[in-house]
Amino acid sequence: MGFLSSLSNLFGMGKKDVNIVVVGLDNSGKTTILNQLKTPETRSQQIVPTVGHVVTNFSTQNLSFHAFDMAGQMKYRSTWESYFHSSQGVIFVLDSSDRVRMELLKDELWLVLDHKDVASRGIPVVILANKMDIPGAMTCADITAALGLNLHRSGTWSIHSTCALTGDGLDKAMQQLSSEIQKYLETRKS
Amino acid sequence: MSGAPKTKGAQSSRMKTNKKDEESGGNVYAHLDKTSVLQECRAFNETPINIKKCTHSLTKLIYIIQQGEPIGRTEATEAFFGVTKLWQSKDVNLRRMIYLAVKELAEVSDDVIIVTSSLTKDMTGREDLYRAAAIRALCKITDTGMLQTIERYMKQAIVDRNSAISSSAIASSIHLMRKSSEVVRRWANEVQEAVSSDNHMVQYHSLALLYQIRANDRLAVNKLVQKFSKNALRSPYAVCYLIRIATRCLVDDDQPDSSVFTFIESCLRHKSEMVVYEAARAIVSLPQTTPSEIQPAITALQMCCTSPKAAVRFAAVRTLNKVAMAHPNAVMSCNVDLEKFITDSNRSIATLAITTLLKTGAESSVERLMQQISGFVNEISDEFKIVVVDAIRSLCSRYPRKHTVMMPFLAKMLRNDGSYDYKKAIVETIIAIIEENPDAKVAGLAHLCEFIEDCEHDNLSTRVLHLLGREAPKTPNPSSYIRFIYNRVILESTKVRAAAVTALAKFGAQCSDLRPSIQVLLKRCLLDSDDEVRDRATFYLKMLTEASESLIHNFILDGLQVSPSGLELKILDYLRSQTYSSPFDLRTVPVTQQALSQPEKRVPQLVEEEEKPKAPKVEPYAAQLAAIPQFAALGPVFKSSARIALTESIAEYTVHMIKHTFANAMVLQFECKNTMNDQLLLDVSVELEDPDGEWETKDTIIIEKLPYGEVHSAYSLLEFPDSGAIAGSLGAILKFKVMDVDPTSGEPDSDDTYDQTYVLEEVDVNVSDSVQSVAKTAFASAWEALGDDATREETFQLSTVENIPDAVKKVSEILGLVPCERSDRVPEGKTQHTVYLSGVFRGGYDVLSKATVAIDPSDNSIAMNIIIKSNEPLVSDLVISAVV
Repeated sequence: MGFLSSLSNLFGMGKKDVNIVVVGLDNSGKTTILNQLKTPETRSQQIVPTVGHVVTNFSTQNLSFHAFDMAGQMKYRSTWESYFHSSQGVIFVLDSSDRVRMELLKDELWLVLDHKDVASRGIPVVILANKMDIPGAMTCADITAALGLNLHRSGTWSIHSTCALTGDGLDKAMQQLSSEIQKYLETRKS
Repeated sequence: MSGAPKTKGAQSSRMKTNKKDEESGGNVYAHLDKTSVLQECRAFNETPINIKKCTHSLTKLIYIIQQGEPIGRTEATEAFFGVTKLWQSKDVNLRRMIYLAVKELAEVSDDVIIVTSSLTKDMTGREDLYRAAAIRALCKITDTGMLQTIERYMKQAIVDRNSAISSSAIASSIHLMRKSSEVVRRWANEVQEAVSSDNHMVQYHSLALLYQIRANDRLAVNKLVQKFSKNALRSPYAVCYLIRIATRCLVDDDQPDSSVFTFIESCLRHKSEMVVYEAARAIVSLPQTTPSEIQPAITALQMCCTSPKAAVRFAAVRTLNKVAMAHPNAVMSCNVDLEKFITDSNRSIATLAITTLLKTGAESSVERLMQQISGFVNEISDEFKIVVVDAIRSLCSRYPRKHTVMMPFLAKMLRNDGSYDYKKAIVETIIAIIEENPDAKVAGLAHLCEFIEDCEHDNLSTRVLHLLGREAPKTPNPSSYIRFIYNRVILESTKVRAAAVTALAKFGAQCSDLRPSIQVLLKRCLLDSDDEVRDRATFYLKMLTEASESLIHNFILDGLQVSPSGLELKILDYLRSQTYSSPFDLRTVPVTQQALSQPEKRVPQLVEEEEKPKAPKVEPYAAQLAAIPQFAALGPVFKSSARIALTESIAEYTVHMIKHTFANAMVLQFECKNTMNDQLLLDVSVELEDPDGEWETKDTIIIEKLPYGEVHSAYSLLEFPDSGAIAGSLGAILKFKVMDVDPTSGEPDSDDTYDQTYVLEEVDVNVSDSVQSVAKTAFASAWEALGDDATREETFQLSTVENIPDAVKKVSEILGLVPCERSDRVPEGKTQHTVYLSGVFRGGYDVLSKATVAIDPSDNSIAMNIIIKSNEPLVSDLVISAVV
């Protein structure tokens, strides 16, 4: 894999464009995470609640991402699904300190995982348990149990704990996402 | 991508066909199908995006929306979500197409608000190409709630250094004013800053927005005009806008500031042609301008006439054409320039020039101009034809002798095809000419008869028939018209048939030699399929065969002069009372000045009951008065005056007076309003005092309680003095007790009261209060019928009026009589005019008057000779006393 990608780089094919959708409840840190992923000079200083969606572009070593940063407020959640179809990956961001809304979170997450454009196409879903720096935040294992993710067999999902303010855990999560997406693209090609 | 080469091939082939289409001059987008376009929009969901294809599809989508193709909500929403996915592309053209598409879809799609953040990002981003368009799209999709979140960015954008961005932010704000004016008002400081921008467009837009923000505050608008008229605006557009604001200030304000007018006048010397024209247009459109004020503006328009640009010439000629009506003498100076335009290749300019010349030109040039215009009248649009017709109308009133040229011309135009408005204008013109000029009557009626033979507009047909019924019997040969009218009965729709029957009856009523033939015709109408037509025919037939001459006169020719609503109310009352022993009394029905538009229709129901509608007048107040037992004995109300204010409108207590005249008494109704929120008024009454001691208050009704904000009425009953005086002026004082109350709850603070008085303006009782104006259709016969027993004649000089029309108006106001047979229309340039006035005096006495006004051209002094006739000498004396 590493050889192939380096070979394609050598032949000047450049990075592959992929679309991902970033969803999650409001105030979970979606826009902040995407801001952190951008190059330092393009970052914005101020993060305001997103209305509707914003397209953010960033890249990892071998992929160029167009991220649809969706708004998390109740009234916009219905718009998420119209973007799954045209994307190759989903990032689901959750606030690991927000124990109160765990049940709501579970419903929303399962809706995403079971959505026909996600489940049937087998696109990777990466769950980011954000705000791990807050004291009393739940761990990945706790969250997995709380959300009943073990019961979900069909799709490909993984969970990572992150801190959007410092960027901790993001690199690892993005590597995982990149490799999953590449795997997904391979299977689709064949 | 494996599919890439194929797409490329398809694309190039499509481009080739595109090219071919363009070469052949056809519209590439002419035959787009909505379904296929929406199908193509699915391409937006693909990854990666094919930029070229998507741009093309977007263009098609916008095109079909622009063409008014209805797109369903679901379809539109689907397309819209597709569009939102295109944001991932960085292609500038595609992004700008997205903005356009968002704006178009904003109305038809759901959830457009979801692009708010994307647009906000673009609007605040670094790419200037995106920013202006993003602002426009954002303001289109946003709502009042969301606007507050982007308020900060809007404020920044308004003062942005880039003029395109600033302009688009301000222009969008102007649109936002409509739905969220409160938010936009908060940006006034930024807008003010933008007015001082160097860019012409920014200055223009920001001035417009600033005006809209302050439009409700007249003082602020005035200040705005003052301020910007002093420090010169650089943008000619902004100056034009300021001129418009200033003009509105001048029109609205009662005491306009002279500096505002000076500003507009100074703009006549502006270096920009546009500003000069705008200023000239503003000045000539102002009401009440003197010739000396208007002259510079006309000169400026004259300059515009020599401009090489057709648009400027057109504008100038069009404005001159409008002014020509109000100030023909001022426009006269431009005649030489206008003459040049007669043969202008631009038909619009030529038409306007000719019609302007028709309005201003000398009598001798009329034939030549008409010749010119008939050459191309068929080539111009209906709208301009109406302009021509209007010009002919004004020409005919100025040069009555020219009707021999005009009438055939109008008739020719009438025969040509045209819209309803166009035909209406012509018919109205012919009617006006007939009314003003007796010489043209026969020819005009003949043309109209010919017109209704083949007229597709019922409204015009009925109108002409009505006119025929009124005018044709007075012509030398009335029988010749009957054929035309009876043809209508046979051929036309119900409405026209009914009108034709009425017209026939009028012939029968006025020409006794034709009556037998008319009766035969009406008998045939009895078999008509429509009941309205049959009803009318039955009624008229009975009238013409059995009724006396005077009855025929009153009912067929004069019509019923009662107010329809009052009649309905009274008849309803009569039916409810269930006592049919006494016949319905028409005297209780309020009369109006204007006869019912189709009075004959209603007459049949009332014919057996009452001879002639006399003149008891009841207003809406009748019900209020009837409820007061003290006034029950006075009988029906004869006349109620208009509401007269006895206080300033801003006084603490406002009082309006209405004078109700009864047969022998007068009730003054005082509508009092308490505007003091900390006072409760008790026992409110109005005390009247006559300095001459003739009028005496017989009875008063007080208002027991008048709380804040409410309107109640106090009444005073006056009897007409025995001395016979019917005019006088009385001092009036409002008397009441004040009880202090708590402003918020309205509860009295204590039971203490104190007396207070408030002096009102004087109450005037005039002769016109005793006279109800009722028009006579046939004045001459009514005049003859009255006899000479009670005729009074006076001659005197009028010093307060300056011209004949004013004198005529004044005399009918003073006497309370109404002019008959359009005799209040004074032909221009005449030194003598006779006006026929009629009315009914209190108690039901007919009063007729002939007033001859003459002006002495040497010193412009006006003399009036007035003859008053009535069936009671005393009445004549009283009425004449009003003028002496």
